[in-house]
Amino acid sequence: MIWPATKALMARDLRLLWRRRGDAMQPALLALLVVVLFALALGGEARALSKVASAVLWLAVLLAGLLSLDSLFRGDADDGSLEQWMLAPVPLGWLVLVRTFMHWSTTALPLLVAAPFLGELLHLPRNELPVLLASLGLGTPLLSLLGAVVAALTVGMRRSGILVALLALPLYVPVLVFGAGSVAAAAQGLDSTGALLLLAAGLVLALVLAPLAAAAAIRIALS
Amino acid sequence: MGREAGKGAIVSYRDYVIAAYGVFAVVMLWDFFAPHVAIRQYVRAARQRAARMAGTGKDTGFPLSRD
Amino acid sequence: MNPVVRWFHQLGSPPYFDRFSARWAPVAHGLGLLVMAYGLYGALFVVPADYQQGDSFRILYIHVPSAWMSMAVFALMATYAAIALIWRIKLCEILAMACAPIGAAFTLITLVTGSIWGKPMWGTWWDWDPRLTTELILLFLYLGVIGLYNAIDDRRSGARAAGLLAIVGVVLLPVIHYSVTWWNSLHQGQTISLFGKSHMDASMLPPLWAMVVGTHVWFVGSLLARARADNLRREAGKEWVAKLVRAQS
Repeated sequence: MIWPATKALMARDLRLLWRRRGDAMQPALLALLVVVLFALALGGEARALSKVASAVLWLAVLLAGLLSLDSLFRGDADDGSLEQWMLAPVPLGWLVLVRTFMHWSTTALPLLVAAPFLGELLHLPRNELPVLLASLGLGTPLLSLLGAVVAALTVGMRRSGILVALLALPLYVPVLVFGAGSVAAAAQGLDSTGALLLLAAGLVLALVLAPLAAAAAIRIALS
Repeated sequence: MGREAGKGAIVSYRDYVIAAYGVFAVVMLWDFFAPHVAIRQYVRAARQRAARMAGTGKDTGFPLSRD
Repeated sequence: MNPVVRWFHQLGSPPYFDRFSARWAPVAHGLGLLVMAYGLYGALFVVPADYQQGDSFRILYIHVPSAWMSMAVFALMATYAAIALIWRIKLCEILAMACAPIGAAFTLITLVTGSIWGKPMWGTWWDWDPRLTTELILLFLYLGVIGLYNAIDDRRSGARAAGLLAIVGVVLLPVIHYSVTWWNSLHQGQTISLFGKSHMDASMLPPLWAMVVGTHVWFVGSLLARARADNLRREAGKEWVAKLVRAQS
């Protein structure tokens, strides 16, 4: 029962995404926008930019992810599919996990691919790139999972806007700190594996706990 | 108060202490009055509602309340 | 039935809770105020000025109890929320949501007094010191709980959703603190805590304990008052409220 349901959900999400493939570019565009604005605000000088490049990139990815959170459950909440999820014989937490994975692969994965290009725009030092990609690779799924909990808490609301950002901020702080911090450590010549391992541990915990919390939140919101 | 601090930079700590204690007092006052204001508001609303309902003969305004 | 157990059950009845909180909130407020007055008097006039920090040291007597309260109230809020979610006790939902503004108030006091204390000591109004940064994030968590509760129309769903957020927050708070401490050590080398380890002389402690006890007792009063307000709001259409206001007028 679980595997056919999973395949069906993934196929549906991909089909819906294909129909609105223009929208799929929005997170990447926002990240680009953030990078450009930072570069312009900082004066465009290579030395100044390369010192903050990794942090700005992390912020760009985080903000783009934050803005795309609304689309995680909104469509299904509006047309009643979310209630079908609650009634399905498949665990609600598993459906949340599948949905979050699809959302991450369509919003965050393009960002990961674009990261080296954006890094060039900011004169990111070459030696920082591998650690940056590793931290983003571990951090973005974590952000998506934590974001899913926040999105689930606000799923019933019409205009959640700034409230989503306010709720997500405290949850995102450790991820941002260890993610951007791992690159900062690498830049200073320190070992960044500690921070990356902590991110990985957080990811493993979130893979188990976040879907449960999000499922509980959805049940509360739709009760 | 801060005059004994030394001959170099004589900093008056008094203003800072007053500011900090002032902030404490203001926030505590808010914390005391906010619920009282709210209670008065809700009681007034309930009184108006009771006056509205008095003529109609309905026993409660929430017939379908799940509580 | 055990009288204590029966009293617990009675508290769950909205009219009984209204009478209980109307009676005991002022008592707790008054008692808390007395103990805090004693503590503040001691802090301002009895305790000698610190050798290094002069009179600005007296801010500690507000800053530290507020910081402890901000954490303790958050933990209590999460506990009430967990009880409300697991056992579906309505009173615990109300109590959990009533904790939030009070905790936010104490967090705000902690941040502002910390900032005021930092200026003469370290020359700066703000420092991204791990403890202050964690307090700031704690403030955002409180505001998030309050915001979420007020944004959802149905008070019961709202309380449960905000309660879930509080539980997630209390689990993540140690992680947040650890991450910010690590980040601080990374970017600022040797961690010099803004409010180091002050070795307090025994003569300086009684006002501190008085303030700790006083703020706790005051908190109970505020909790009861705010819970009473929320209770009245939720029960607005009920017969007992109508009877109550008719009896008053």
